[in-house]
Amino acid sequence: MIDMVKFVKVIPIASKVGTVTIRYPYDKPLVTESFRGAIEIDPAKCVGCGACTRICPPKALTLVQEGNTLILRYFVGRCIFCGMCADVCPEKAITITKEFELATDQIHDLYTDVEHELVECERCGTKFVAKKLLDKVKSIVEVLPEDRAKLCPNCRRLETLSRAATPR
Amino acid sequence: MPDYQLLYKYLRNIASSEPIDENTEKFVLQKDHLLEVAKVISRFEGVYLRTMTASDERNVNGFYKLYYVFGIDSLHKNIVLEVPIPEKDASAPSIADYVRAADWYELEAHDLMGIQFSRELPQNFVLPEDWPKDVYPLRKDYSIEDLVKLYRPRIEAQAREIGAEAALLIPIGPYHPALHEPEHFELYVVGEKIVDVKYRGFMVHRGIEKLAESMKYDQVPFLAERICGICGYVHSTSYCQAVENALKLQVPERAEYIRSIILEIERIHSHLLWLGVAFHLIGYDTGFMHMWRIRENVMILAELLTGSRKTYGINIVGGVRRDIDEEKIKKCLAVLDNLEKEFKNLIDIALAVPQVKSRLRGTGYLPPSEAAQLSLVGPTVRGSGLPRDVRRDYPYAAYKYVGVEPVTRSEGDNMARAEVRVGEVFQSIELLRQLLDKIPRGSIALESWEPEANKHGIGSVEAPRGEVIHYIITGRLSPYRWRVRAPTYQNLPAVPIMLRNGDLADAPLTIASIDPCFSCTDRALVIDLKSGKSRSIPLVLLAQKGFGALR
Amino acid sequence: MEIQSVEGFSKRDLEKALQRLKKSIWVFHLNTGSCNGCDIEILDVLTPWFDVERFGIKLVASPRHADVVLLTGPITVKALPRIAKALRAVPRPRLVLAIGSCAVGGNIWFESYATMGGLYNVLDMLQESGITIDKIVYIPGCPARPEAIIYGVAVLLGLVKPKSHYRKVKA
Repeated sequence: MIDMVKFVKVIPIASKVGTVTIRYPYDKPLVTESFRGAIEIDPAKCVGCGACTRICPPKALTLVQEGNTLILRYFVGRCIFCGMCADVCPEKAITITKEFELATDQIHDLYTDVEHELVECERCGTKFVAKKLLDKVKSIVEVLPEDRAKLCPNCRRLETLSRAATPR
Repeated sequence: MPDYQLLYKYLRNIASSEPIDENTEKFVLQKDHLLEVAKVISRFEGVYLRTMTASDERNVNGFYKLYYVFGIDSLHKNIVLEVPIPEKDASAPSIADYVRAADWYELEAHDLMGIQFSRELPQNFVLPEDWPKDVYPLRKDYSIEDLVKLYRPRIEAQAREIGAEAALLIPIGPYHPALHEPEHFELYVVGEKIVDVKYRGFMVHRGIEKLAESMKYDQVPFLAERICGICGYVHSTSYCQAVENALKLQVPERAEYIRSIILEIERIHSHLLWLGVAFHLIGYDTGFMHMWRIRENVMILAELLTGSRKTYGINIVGGVRRDIDEEKIKKCLAVLDNLEKEFKNLIDIALAVPQVKSRLRGTGYLPPSEAAQLSLVGPTVRGSGLPRDVRRDYPYAAYKYVGVEPVTRSEGDNMARAEVRVGEVFQSIELLRQLLDKIPRGSIALESWEPEANKHGIGSVEAPRGEVIHYIITGRLSPYRWRVRAPTYQNLPAVPIMLRNGDLADAPLTIASIDPCFSCTDRALVIDLKSGKSRSIPLVLLAQKGFGALR
Repeated sequence: MEIQSVEGFSKRDLEKALQRLKKSIWVFHLNTGSCNGCDIEILDVLTPWFDVERFGIKLVASPRHADVVLLTGPITVKALPRIAKALRAVPRPRLVLAIGSCAVGGNIWFESYATMGGLYNVLDMLQESGITIDKIVYIPGCPARPEAIIYGVAVLLGLVKPKSHYRKVKA
C-alpha cells in the first residue's frame, strides 16, 4: 500500500527545489570560468606562419592567397571551439573568448580575415612568405645570409647550388 | 573454467605468432584455416569476438588483411587473428555460422573494402543504395576527393528526381510510405505481437575512418570525440590509448586519473539522460524533467573541468591538455554529494510508480545464452547476468589502480537493464570520490613522442553503453588504418531477439533499453502482416498506443 | 492536399509572417546525421533549466505543422532524400535554424564523401527542386549551447540584432 503511493513523494521535492529556470536572456547564462567560446586573433601579433591552420581539425582557420595578400581566414561557423590554435600559436596571437552569441542570418558574417602583406622573390617574382614572418625570422636567427633572405625556397636552393658549383 | 592453454597450443601449432603488447598475441593464419580455427574458438566458453577490421595493405606487403580480435575476459588477454587476403582473389570464408557476432563485421568489410565472403551478402549495408558498384571507399586506390567526384553526380540526379515529384499533386498524409526514407526499424506484426524485425541504418555514416587517414595524430581525438555526442569522450580516449599502446608510450599517471575522472562524469550524465528518455517513452514526464534537472549539474561540472559542456576536447596522444586544481576538485565533490542525495530520492520514487514498474518488468527478455553467443556488451549484457566490464576485464587508465566490480542483474528484462544503470550511477559517484582522493601529482602529458609506421595497437574503454574498442595501424604522419567499433554496433543484433513475440507497445522501450545511439525523435515502420497496412510511426506514439497507432 | 510553393512570396510576406510568429512557434526537429550532441542540447532547452516553453515553443511530430525547422547534422548523403522531402512538406515561409558546426559549415567532415558539408552547400540544389528556404539563422557551436540556441531563436524572430559581422583587419 505504501509502495503504491510512494510516487506522490515527488511533490514535496518539486516544491523544495522551486524553480531552477535560468531566465536567459534576462538572466546571466550558465557560463563557467573554463568555457571556450569563439577565438580572437590579434592582428598585431600574428605573423602569418600558418601553424594554427595546420592543427585546426575542421579547417576553420585557413590561409588563402588573394592576389598580393595572404589572408588568415577564420570561419567561426565551422569552428569546434577546441582551442588547439591558441595552444599552438608561437606568437600567442590567439585568445579564447567566452563569446557564444554568434548566431546570424548572413553566413558571410561568420568570417574574419587577417590580411598579410606578401614578400616577392627577387629572382622569380613569386610571392612566397608574409612580410611579418620574414621580419620575425630575421629577428630571431642571428646568422642569416641577408643576400638570400628574399629568395623563395626554390630559388634559394638554386642560388646556393650555383655558388657551391662556381669556385670563388 | 575452460583450459585456454589448449587454445593457445592449438593456435601456436598452426600459425606463427607475434606479441602486440603484454596482453595480446597475434597469429598469422592462412585463409584456408580460418573456418577451422573459428569452429575451435567458438567451442571455448568465455572467448568473445570484440571486433574485426579489414585493412588495405597492398602498398606495404601486397595483401588485404583481416584482423579478428578475440578477448578472453577471465585471463585479461586478447588473441588477434591476422588473415592475409590476396589481391587477385579478394575473398574469405564466412565464420558467421560459428561466431555469430562476426555477421555485421563481414557485411562492413564487404561494403567498404570489397572483400567477398562465402555467403550471400546484401549490397550497400553501410553506403547509400545507389552508391557506384565496385567502388570501395576504404581501399587506398581512392582519395576522398575521388570519391566525392564519383558520387556527386548521383546526388544531383536524385535532387532533380525529388524536384520532379513535387510537380505531381500526390496526396501524401503525415505518414510517409517506405519509398525514399528507410526508417531505422521495420517491425512486422500480426495483431499486437511482433513476429519479425529488420534493421536498416547507417544514416550517420560520415566516412570517419577514411578521414582519419589524412589527418595528423593530434587532430584525430577531436574527430573521434564527435562520433557520438553523448559518449564522445570514450572514443577519443580509446583512440589515444590505441596509439599509445601501439607506440609503447607511457602516459603520466596524473593524466590517466584525469581521463578516468572525466570518463566517469560522462557515464553519470549518459545514464541520467537515458533514464530521463526511458521515463519519457513510458509517459512519466515528471521523471524525465527531474532526471534532466539533476543532470544539468553534471553538464556544468564537465564544463568547469574541461572547458566545454560536451565534446570536451582535452585528450591528445600522450596525455590531457587541461589540469584539475584543488578548487575544482572541491567543487566536484560538492556536486557529487548533492547529486547522490537527489538521485537516490528521485529514483526510489520513480521506480515505484506503478506504470513505470509494469512497463519495465517482464518486457524485452534477453536470454543469457544468446547474449554470450552474440558477444554483447555493456548494461545490455550485464542485465542478463554476464559480468562483462572492460574496466575489470581489460583494465586501462586509472582502473589499473582502482578496482571495479561489474554491476549485474539476472532477470534479463528491461527493468534489469534499468537497474544496472541506476547501480552504475551510484558506483560512478563512489569511484569518482576514490579517484579524486588518490590523484597523484605530476605532469599531465608527455613532453614529446615520435610516430613510427606499421605498429598495431588496441585501445578499449567501457562506455556507458558498453565496450568501445579501437584498432590502429600506425603510419608515419597519420594513422594508416583506424577501426572504430562502438558498443551499439555490437548490441543492435540483439534487438530482434528481444522484440520477437513481444507486444508492439513494448518495442520502443526495448529498443531504447540497449541505449542506442540514434536520435530519440525516430520513427519505426510498422507492417501489419494480416491487413497488409504499413505506417511510419514515431517511437513515442508507438510506446503509448501500441497497435492502436496503426489505425 | 499538398500546397505548391507559392510564386511571388515576397519579402513583405516574410516580414508579416515573422510578426505573427512572435507569440509562439512550433518547431520540427530534423536530424540529418548528427552525432546527437546538438540534439541533446535542443532537448535540454525544453527542460526546466532553460524551459523554452515559457516562450510558447513546442515540438511537433510532423513537418507539415512546423513554423521553424531545427536542423542538426552535416546532411549525410544517405539522409539527403529524406531531408528534401521533409523540407518540402514544411509550408511557406520556410524558416530554418541551422544548429551547430555541422549544419553551418559541415564540421570536421565537410570534405568527406559521405556528407554534403552542411546546409549552405545544399541550398542551390534545394532551390532547383523548388524548395525555397525563406530565412536561415546559422548558430555556430559544437555542440551549440542551450543559451546559444535561444539567442538564435531571438535573432530569427528579430528580437535582437546579430552581433557577428564580417571583419577584415590588416596584420
